[in-house]
Amino acid sequence: MAAMGADVVMLEPSGGSPLRHAAPLLDGTGDSALFTYLAVGKRSQVCDLDSAEGRLVLERELVHADILIDDTPLRDRARHGLDPALIGARHPGLVHVSVLPFGASGPKANWDGEEINLLHAGGEGFLLPNGLSHELFPDRPPLKIYGHFAGYQGGTMAALAALTAWWAVPVAGGQYVDVSVQDAVLSVGAFALQRLGDGSLEHRTSRRFRYGGVFEASDGYVELLTLEDRQWHGLVDLLGRPAWAEEESLSDPLERSRRGDEINGHVREWMRRHPVEEIVRRAQELGVPAAKYRTPMEVTQSEHERARGLFARSELESGGSVEVLVAPFQFRCSLLPGGGRVPALGEMDAVVLA
Amino acid sequence: MMKRTNAPLAGVRIADFTIHAAGPYCTHLLSQLGAECIKIESRTRPDAFRKPHAVYGRMQAATFDQVSANKLSVRLNLKQAEAVALAKRLVAVSDVATESFRAGVMNRLGLGFEALREVKSDIVLLSLSSCGQSGPDSHFAGYAPLFGAWGGLGWMSGYSDGPPVEMRHVMDHSAGLHAAVATVAAMHQRRRTGLAQHVDLAAREVASAMIGDALVQASAGMTPVRPGNADLGMAPHGVYRTAKPDRWLTLAVRNDDEWGKLLQVLCRECSDVRFATAQGRLKHREDLDRLVSYWLATCDADAMAGRMQEAGLCAHVSWNMQDIASDPHLLARQALVEVRSPDIPPRLAVGAPGRFGGTDDVGIRRLTPTLGQDEDYVFGELLGLSSAQRSDLEAREIIY
Repeated sequence: MAAMGADVVMLEPSGGSPLRHAAPLLDGTGDSALFTYLAVGKRSQVCDLDSAEGRLVLERELVHADILIDDTPLRDRARHGLDPALIGARHPGLVHVSVLPFGASGPKANWDGEEINLLHAGGEGFLLPNGLSHELFPDRPPLKIYGHFAGYQGGTMAALAALTAWWAVPVAGGQYVDVSVQDAVLSVGAFALQRLGDGSLEHRTSRRFRYGGVFEASDGYVELLTLEDRQWHGLVDLLGRPAWAEEESLSDPLERSRRGDEINGHVREWMRRHPVEEIVRRAQELGVPAAKYRTPMEVTQSEHERARGLFARSELESGGSVEVLVAPFQFRCSLLPGGGRVPALGEMDAVVLA
Repeated sequence: MMKRTNAPLAGVRIADFTIHAAGPYCTHLLSQLGAECIKIESRTRPDAFRKPHAVYGRMQAATFDQVSANKLSVRLNLKQAEAVALAKRLVAVSDVATESFRAGVMNRLGLGFEALREVKSDIVLLSLSSCGQSGPDSHFAGYAPLFGAWGGLGWMSGYSDGPPVEMRHVMDHSAGLHAAVATVAAMHQRRRTGLAQHVDLAAREVASAMIGDALVQASAGMTPVRPGNADLGMAPHGVYRTAKPDRWLTLAVRNDDEWGKLLQVLCRECSDVRFATAQGRLKHREDLDRLVSYWLATCDADAMAGRMQEAGLCAHVSWNMQDIASDPHLLARQALVEVRSPDIPPRLAVGAPGRFGGTDDVGIRRLTPTLGQDEDYVFGELLGLSSAQRSDLEAREIIY
């Protein structure tokens, strides 16, 4: 929301948001890389809701706010002045979005959860890893996606709910919306529920592409996936038209799926002899969907991302600067400026008091 | 004609050219929120779920397609100029157009942003693609696992000593979710300015947005390390084997207080001084994981998760879809809803993306349309085509 131009005020406890100290930290300065990413372009106001003064600050902010986004646990809301009904009564035009691990209603509304719990509560955690990682380590526990994938789905769903409810304000006035991270993970994983309805319970052992997937090249890893016939024919060209691939029966996609392990064996053997960049360049020329597994450093230095202005230099709280991802979308008629700075704790306090 | 609802996006119309996963999920979310979404397909260009996808192990078309629910369906063979003209007329009576062709294809079809703005001066066009509408890789084709690979999320996910991990449909749908947010934001901008907007979403950038912290590290000259199930700030933290086969318990202990609660719940004492502080537990996380794994190996995962939550700990069983389908909490929240039709026996689908207190009719209102089932309304009522005109267009495979 801040990246898209909203004036976002973080109402933080007097000790600051725990995110200010959340890992990973930057070497040398100790700045939280996570907080830097999430806080650039926002402002900070100390608002200690355990105190009457803090609750007054909240009220002052809400008078001018269009949207309130809150992840305070349910048990603390009333004493913090965050009861939705009371807020709605005092601020009838306000959109109030609650985003909690398991939502604000239902038998588990008071359950707590971190990323690893929520990715598994929403169904995706159980299904990872699939493909090569699972083949190599079949006895290991399921594996989470890096970072805060589940939390970001919940957060983005909250943004969608907020913008949507705000759209309806002229007709319906403000309202309260209850968003759950678990629901959001389930929503983006809806396909597995659809498969269940078709009689198939997905499992990481069986949820794999019949052929394609992660391949080790001579100097890195490649992802390769051919869904369409023309892409398969492009792959055969990429591999140099070996005799096994030109076998007539493999022109049938069902037969290819049945013989997926055999195909992957051949492709793996070929991939190991070729460098990633060459594979990907040639594959894309032939219309074969293939991509390099890029490191974070490669992403930040990529010609494509730089041409698109994906990153903008931003000021750290400790001084100095880094490049921070602006937003995963562009508005081509009014480009997002990006950048800004990580706000110091309570930088707005003096302004408000004045 | 669709009944006008009280949903928050009621009155918003979308001309939807997307047919594969990310785009349809985006417009499905918007349709759940009340937008009228007209899905534009053809016999030769149907939605991905109308076809078998053997590489996924799906040997026939889906009987129910979550992301097509709520939508209206019309056929237009966009290889024909008259179909393109009809598509423009449809865009002219819509608020939003969405497409997920490879960059440049809409222009070649005569349906690029400038062409659409000519027929609808304040159109919001969403272009959702692998690599975006600009940049040297913009012509690259891709699917969810490739987005994850390009964006760095695949590299950062995986066992520390293993290969990167491929992302699946959640990556597509996360791109669709971000696209929905950007689209509604553009609608607000249009409401304020009266101007058109072209939203350009690159799915690989959504994957990058999932590793935003690692990218900050990289920008600062650091080399982020793939952490697997570990967390840099919490220990114990992971997915633990329990008494039943393939029944895993996820656990995250944030601080000393929670560590004490964990020992209480497990009726254990821990005299190992290495684990007495959060810093020590992080430093010796591997030894700690072995100890916690030993403690949990004989427990009932479901009962233990409940006891841990009662004690204020972050724990949950690693759920499969059957667990989810049976969950009273998700059912009570209507995160899961039952759908049925004369052709479809009762089954569960994913409900609305939020519980809206002030507007209703949010969620699934109708199921997957058959190809072209809403042409009476769309071509007849909205575009004013007569039956004779439509018959002629069908005969010439323009409506096809």
